[in-house]
Amino acid sequence: MTRPYVPWLLLGLALALAAVYLFPLYWMYVTSLKTGSEIFANPPTFWPMAPDPSIYPAVWTRRTMGTFMWNSVLIASGVTAITVVLGTGCAYVLARYRSAWIDFGLFLILMLQVLPASVMITPLFVGFNQIGLLNYPRTAVVLAAAAKAMPFFVVLVRATFMSVPRELEEAALVDGNSRVGAFFSIVLPLARNGILVCAILTFMSAFGEYIYSKSIIQDTSLQPASVGLSGFLGPNSTDWNSIMAYSAIYVTPILAVFVLLQRRIVSGLTSGALK
Amino acid sequence: MSAQIELSNIEKHYGAFHALKNVSLTIEKGSFVALVGPSGCGKSTLLRSIAGLETISGGTLKIAGAVMTGVPPRKRDVAMVFQSYALYPHMTVEENLTYSLRLHGVGKAEAKAKAAEVAATTGLSALLKRYPRELSGGQRQRVAMGRAIIRNPKAFLFDEPLSNLDAALRVHMRKEIRALHDRLGATSVYVTHDQIEAMTMADHVVVMRDGVIEQQGSPLELYDTPVSKFVAGFIGSPAMNFVPGTIAADGQSVRLELEGNPVLPLGRTMEVGRQVMVGLRPEHLVIAEGGDVALQLPVAVVESTGSMTYVATNTTPELTVVETRRTHLQAGNTIGITIDPGHIHMFDPTTGLAI
Repeated sequence: MTRPYVPWLLLGLALALAAVYLFPLYWMYVTSLKTGSEIFANPPTFWPMAPDPSIYPAVWTRRTMGTFMWNSVLIASGVTAITVVLGTGCAYVLARYRSAWIDFGLFLILMLQVLPASVMITPLFVGFNQIGLLNYPRTAVVLAAAAKAMPFFVVLVRATFMSVPRELEEAALVDGNSRVGAFFSIVLPLARNGILVCAILTFMSAFGEYIYSKSIIQDTSLQPASVGLSGFLGPNSTDWNSIMAYSAIYVTPILAVFVLLQRRIVSGLTSGALK
Repeated sequence: MSAQIELSNIEKHYGAFHALKNVSLTIEKGSFVALVGPSGCGKSTLLRSIAGLETISGGTLKIAGAVMTGVPPRKRDVAMVFQSYALYPHMTVEENLTYSLRLHGVGKAEAKAKAAEVAATTGLSALLKRYPRELSGGQRQRVAMGRAIIRNPKAFLFDEPLSNLDAALRVHMRKEIRALHDRLGATSVYVTHDQIEAMTMADHVVVMRDGVIEQQGSPLELYDTPVSKFVAGFIGSPAMNFVPGTIAADGQSVRLELEGNPVLPLGRTMEVGRQVMVGLRPEHLVIAEGGDVALQLPVAVVESTGSMTYVATNTTPELTVVETRRTHLQAGNTIGITIDPGHIHMFDPTTGLAI
């Protein structure tokens, strides 16, 4: 194999993999616009013969999606707020101090990441029940999901803080600032991009949170959209275009945010250069 | 408005590592003091201790007579120029310059006026609205200097500020920093690993090694009367030659352990048979045309820089000779060397101290 072909081969491979991942998304949008019989047509049609967008407002009202979406936003916002406020401080400490205890703390945080939500939910449920937190199910979900999101956030933001040279902080101290002041006026603005990106990623993953919400929130009016979607799927569900329309309404805002901010997200995750 | 810095019996431990060992040093008002030594000798730690960025484990540190134990950096009224310049990347040059003023509650208009004034003296006037990333290395260096000057502090602390510049700019900035010091009359403490910087800029040079002050004094004192082999080898460029030797039977001369065992007259009397380390500066080895010479040395390599010629000899250990006159020496030639007995340094081979 001669060298000039290698980048093209890799590009082709990347496009093929992207197509595998993106095809379901395309299929979701296309199916939502098809009629019931067209969905089961063989061979399948790749573009609906008579696109019918009226299904969107219909599904929105029929499934009370306004409530579900609002709950999702509420839960995701709560998770993001807790994660950013607590995680940023935690990440800064882990980035700036070196000792055996810090290493141990980092190890514990990474351990949190290892435990899957499905394993954690039973003990969490029992614990929340004991302290009466199940009476505030959305708060309970926010706490549980924030704990789950924390390690990822802390590890990434720690890397961002480590890319901020220590000397900048020292210069600020000598220039007449306090440690707290130097953190807020020098370190935080420089780490802002990284924190913002991690916050967005946290929000997006919390927006799709399912396991904790499904287990903890019984009241339909308090459930997020992910749990609302599962309510569709019965043993005899055939209402595929409604399900797909629901899914489309659910994921399109996240997709839009991602597309709008993708430049920032990519640069925020990869760049440590602060020159 | 400048102050005196007084260090007495400073100790610093990093876990088991003893970084500063009983360091005592008085820095006079308005003087320019260079801390010099190889990396890891504690010079930067000492500077950072003065700034308050490191807490000292023992001893007392006074700035302008006030004990600084437990005083945070912001209350010490010292300015520091970092090796990496440490300019705030998200602020323009003007914001970088005025940062400390804004923190001290100076009004916006006044801070701006001061920034303009400092920018004029450091040649930054045209760059005030730029960000550090848009500046060259030399310009960044000036901003770092300006940020220190603008505060009119009790002392300037420099942490190897020139090591990221190219050679020509370094020589230029050396003069500029010294001129600035003279103009402001502030106390300056300058850390460097480059003995030439220390020698050319400072009034008072402090040579450090392994956390202790090996010797301090004026640049020429260190050059003329080094207290140890370490200082002798560190100060001066090219470095001093060292040859082991034994005091000869007359007690007035030393027999060198070189090819042919030449004998050098000392001009003083010493204990017969004593083992010594003889130190000879390259510039004190004078090439003589025939006649009465002290050493006959075969030439290995001749390097000419135009103004000076460095001659390396084909001996063990190799000696370096500096000749300022034009020569036509080639490898394989033999040169005759004369030495003024007053220029011969003697050190104890075990303790390394001057004899």
